[in-house]
Amino acid sequence: MTSALDEFKRGLLDELPLQIGIIPFGLVYGILGVESGMSILETCLLSVVLFGGASQIVFAQLVASATPAGVILASVSTINLRHLLYGLSLASYLKNLPLRWRVLLAYLLTDEAYAMSIIRFRSGQPSDYLHYHLLGTGLLLFIVWQISTITGAFLGTAVPASLQLGFAVPLSFIAVLAPVIKRRAEIFAALSAGITALILHDMVWQLWLICAAIIGIAVGWAVSYLDKDNQMEAVK
Amino acid sequence: MSLFVLMCLCGALTFSARFLPLTGWLPAKLPAWFERAMYFVPIAVLTPIITHSVMVTADSGIAFSDNLRLPAAGLAILVAWLTRSVIITLIVGFACLWGLNYFGF
Repeated sequence: MTSALDEFKRGLLDELPLQIGIIPFGLVYGILGVESGMSILETCLLSVVLFGGASQIVFAQLVASATPAGVILASVSTINLRHLLYGLSLASYLKNLPLRWRVLLAYLLTDEAYAMSIIRFRSGQPSDYLHYHLLGTGLLLFIVWQISTITGAFLGTAVPASLQLGFAVPLSFIAVLAPVIKRRAEIFAALSAGITALILHDMVWQLWLICAAIIGIAVGWAVSYLDKDNQMEAVK
Repeated sequence: MSLFVLMCLCGALTFSARFLPLTGWLPAKLPAWFERAMYFVPIAVLTPIITHSVMVTADSGIAFSDNLRLPAAGLAILVAWLTRSVIITLIVGFACLWGLNYFGF
């Protein structure tokens, strides 16, 4: 049985390699935020209030194009709806924690923290302190994200666009996903979601993301059901 | 609406999406079909972000040709699958992208 400190340190270590992708991503947002017309303070404040990389970049882009507030609100909400699904898949591990823990961990629940902690949660190794793992992944991500966005906001346009630092976002997700996609159902889920995103790429309000996710989940579910692959229910 | 109020509203809605499932208002034991569906959430959410980031450009929509991100992402998938290393995947992906750019592909 691991201790709380062990789990926390393991969360930090598991999350550490992803920071190579987070740093340029944060820099990109910081630069984009200032370019969009927000002040350095507003750019950095959004990182604290929203704490969601992709939605922050969309927020900055929409602010730059003087999009109505209602559309910005709807766009950000739509993009971050996926966090509802993350929370649902973690609920069985976290829902008995005290309120202060659930509030803190909900705030820290981002793509990258979820991606690393769900692997630990589903590893089958028992621990009473699994939530410390998510605290470790989420806290490290929060600190690195804030430092990166502050740096990006101050750097402004000094970083050449030719470096294409935004490419760090898909590379990070590729690194997380590629090794774990093995079974037929997982391959079909990835292909269907990826192709749907391309077909629907010009949907309003970035709705392609939610639509692609729903299609991917449905296809993965159906294929696993047809294959009588019950491992998806066993990994609790 | 001021920018600050808009930020706070976006933050509140995002936090709600993250916190709502942890409130304990949901049933203690979720149905097996639902657990099976939840298993596919990471794959189904992260893959569209990858394909969209790699293949969709702001100017010309989906780009199959003259898109250096495509071979770089392909190589990154192979490297990630072989090494299971985030660091090596990022280094190889960026090296490929910058290298192709440098040599004028």
